Amino acid sequence: MKLLIVEDEAKTAEYLHRGLNEQGYTVDVARTGPDGHALALLHDYDVIVLDVMLPEMDGFAVLRAIRMRKQTPVIMLTARDRIDDRVHGLREGADDYLVKPFSFLELVARLQAVTRRGRAQEPTQLRIGDLEIDLLSRKAYRAGSRLELTAKEFALLALLARREGQILSKTMIAEQVWDMNFDSHTNVVEVAIKRLRAKVDGPHERKLLHTIRGMGYVLEARGDEEAS
Amino acid sequence: MKASIATRLAVMFAVASLGVFSLVGFALRHVLQRELDRHQLSEVNTRLEYVSMTVNRHGTTEGWKVVRSKLDTLTPSDGSVRYWVLGPDPRFEYGDAPMVLRERLRTQADGPFEIELEGRVMRATVRSIAPKEQRPVVMLVTALDSARFRDTLDAFAGALVALCLAGAALVVLLGHRIAKVGLAPLSSLSQEAQSLSPRDLSQRLRLSPLPRELADLVSSFNGALDRVERAYAQLEGFNADVAHELRTPLANLIGQTQVALAKERTAPQLEEVLLSNLEELERLRAIVNDMLFLARADQGETAPNRVPASAAGEVSKTVEFLEALIEDAGVSVRVDGDAHASFERSLFRRAASNLLLNAVEHSERGAEIVVAIAQQASEVRIAVTNPGEPIPEQHLGRLFDRFYRVDGSRRNSRNNHGLGLSIVKAVAKMHGGTVFVTSTGGRNTVGFTLADVPPITAPHL
Repeated sequence: MKLLIVEDEAKTAEYLHRGLNEQGYTVDVARTGPDGHALALLHDYDVIVLDVMLPEMDGFAVLRAIRMRKQTPVIMLTARDRIDDRVHGLREGADDYLVKPFSFLELVARLQAVTRRGRAQEPTQLRIGDLEIDLLSRKAYRAGSRLELTAKEFALLALLARREGQILSKTMIAEQVWDMNFDSHTNVVEVAIKRLRAKVDGPHERKLLHTIRGMGYVLEARGDEEAS
Repeated sequence: MKASIATRLAVMFAVASLGVFSLVGFALRHVLQRELDRHQLSEVNTRLEYVSMTVNRHGTTEGWKVVRSKLDTLTPSDGSVRYWVLGPDPRFEYGDAPMVLRERLRTQADGPFEIELEGRVMRATVRSIAPKEQRPVVMLVTALDSARFRDTLDAFAGALVALCLAGAALVVLLGHRIAKVGLAPLSSLSQEAQSLSPRDLSQRLRLSPLPRELADLVSSFNGALDRVERAYAQLEGFNADVAHELRTPLANLIGQTQVALAKERTAPQLEEVLLSNLEELERLRAIVNDMLFLARADQGETAPNRVPASAAGEVSKTVEFLEALIEDAGVSVRVDGDAHASFERSLFRRAASNLLLNAVEHSERGAEIVVAIAQQASEVRIAVTNPGEPIPEQHLGRLFDRFYRVDGSRRNSRNNHGLGLSIVKAVAKMHGGTVFVTSTGGRNTVGFTLADVPPITAPHL
């Protein structure tokens, strides 16, 4: 995955560069609007992360200029979350937007959502360690025995399983499972995960559902050194 | 700037008085003119009467001499009164009658008429005198120069105009003075208002010595001051609250980071610091996001993505979301009634979620929370009721204020930074609604309304 970040704020550009690099993206950084525009036209990026407030040429202008030649997916970063700003960006051809301060996990999730389009259909059977999930019949098995899950618990497990190995933020989980797209500041997701964990990991030696403090949750079969 | 009230009043007085004076003056002049006319006429008639007796008496040429001398005597030297006797026999005539007069008399019947002779406007009257002895019928004309009367009239009119103007001027001066005196309470009020200091917001304008017209203004003004004072106090408290809310996580961040950097740490120790910092930062982000949201609502932003939906449906979805918490708290939630309206779902759920959380937090185990949804005339009303300790009166009105907490402590501050109900209020406001709270009989009800936007055709969702 090749990615371009157009961001003038040095610290932001730096941590995005590093973080996304570690997520397996090849990252280029442009610090001004014209640089970003030039790079975007020069290379074929899978996605562009574009800040709105840029020196010389603002994000909307860069976006317009890029759109005249290319249809590269663009995620806008904005410090303002006025509705008209969002509408403006989307109308100019942005594929998504994120309001600062955003969480890094959120950005990664959106990047994946934007680049996932057009990929091959997802499998209907998932297997993580000895956890098996059938997305069609909506059944889950651990070490061969059926797990008794409520509909929401299954939706939660399926979400984590589809994003195996990725950290999912509470906000994102709330949005995907319950369609609650606002920061609710509650521990609803924590409680739901706790219950799911009791059912999925409860009696088993090897834990699959992990909490990443301050960030979210991840479902993966970790190596023995971590499990012990 | 507009002219002062005193000046404006003075000018209006002047215009009004000038109008009235002119009308009266015009009427007076008219009356005077009529009187003068009558006077002239009667003088002419009196003279004619007197002279006609003399003319009538004499029918011979001898006698006519007497008439002539008599008329000569009666004619003043300035020519303001003239007599003519005209007839077919020049012997029995008097005065050099100009052609104009002769012409006129050919058609003029007996009686008064007006004529211009030798540049003078004369009021004249004519009478035919019956023949006597040698004298044939003659016409006796008496004319009076009306210049005198006209002069009187002109002098009168001139005096009238001058008096009118002088009177109007006087009215202006007096009017200005009167207005000044009359408006004195206003200027003293303005002085008093100027002495209000921004340092002491509890100051008010005095009502007692004021005339009725100003009392209303002053009480409205004092009402505005009340509101300003309240808003100001709220803002001050709000600033302090914001500072406090932000200071705690910031202090943690700075302190922890400094401690961590003070000496060499192992990777797990540093990781622990980072994780703790991340939690604090998330807290800051949540506060900042909520405050931005509230600020936008304050600036009058309205819900942009309204769609027709069922309120009960959205409440149920919210209950589903909070299910785990509700179960953990050992309470149950019942949804009563339904209403369809146009609203932004995510905002609605946010408000409903905050209300439910609030109710769950303040309920004992085993309690039943009731969400009553009602469609009223022009609004949809969502009320969340839970059994609980009565909320003291003084808290009720402030429950929706930012960072306001009934217990004053900062319990639960990790998940709840005291903006929950203010967000409910903001959501209601963004939908043209309002919030309400009641506490009676051990049941606390908190809720909001949304302005209903008809027509709603969506079936139950």
